Amino acid sequence: MVLSFNTRRMVQVAGGALLTLLAACQSEPASRTITIQQTWDLQVGNQVGNYRISSGLGDITLELGGDPVRMPFDGKLQPMDDHCLALTSPEVPAYLFRLCGINRPNLGQRSQGHTIGRAERLVFAAFRKEPDGTWALIEPATELIEQFLTE
Amino acid sequence: MSPKTKQRAKRRPRRQRRYRLITSGLLMLLSFSLGLGLRFQAKAASAKKDLCQDIISSQAVLSRQQLTQLLTIPERENRQAIEAIAEEPYCTLTAIEVRAGVSAERAAYPLAFDPNTWLVVLYEDEEYVGYGFKLQH
Repeated sequence: MVLSFNTRRMVQVAGGALLTLLAACQSEPASRTITIQQTWDLQVGNQVGNYRISSGLGDITLELGGDPVRMPFDGKLQPMDDHCLALTSPEVPAYLFRLCGINRPNLGQRSQGHTIGRAERLVFAAFRKEPDGTWALIEPATELIEQFLTE
Repeated sequence: MSPKTKQRAKRRPRRQRRYRLITSGLLMLLSFSLGLGLRFQAKAASAKKDLCQDIISSQAVLSRQQLTQLLTIPERENRQAIEAIAEEPYCTLTAIEVRAGVSAERAAYPLAFDPNTWLVVLYEDEEYVGYGFKLQH
């Protein structure tokens, strides 16, 4: 009886460990908030009437039709503005990329080439860090956006 | 011994065996998934392209003092302000274009006191844009 109790206990411990491991793998990274240098009223996340603005000045919308969006380099994906993602990478210092419209994205630390998620319409914006700590919307290079869309 | 206790004595090992089987099965599953995860990680690491494009100075490292001095330099300062402190980098990364029409150069410096951490500095048009800390696996 003692032995069978021990084995049962072991099963419980093993199960607990497995659950902890799973939970640890799925914990969501903290969301990212930035101060945008350009103070426009009509910005992503603001509202017009009862409707949320999903893209504004400086955003590039791509008709992906459900195609995958990939990591152009190693980096970290965090939730941003409720419906968007922020991609930052120590390999590309002082830049932040905002991706909106991706369904069920894979958040956290991701390697180059990994799929971020799929999007019907990808709304893309690039920001560059200013000396005062704010982030300025910039015009991204076509080549850079292409790296998100090809393997 | 009564026949009842005999029966129980007979049954117990079978029960134990079953538990042992379940436990070992679970443990095997656990180690298998762990091994799979590790292998997957190793694969991802090996598939990863090398960060460096050109090795500039194979002995280059950044001391604590150099690092602290570097971090006091504000963004948009001239590139020479960084190079006066850090001198030659360990390597340069591939040139990329992040902003339309502007090529970005990147230089990497391993930290002397933590060689697995590299400071990556980004320049655009001879201007210092920013830094990042890259963990090397």
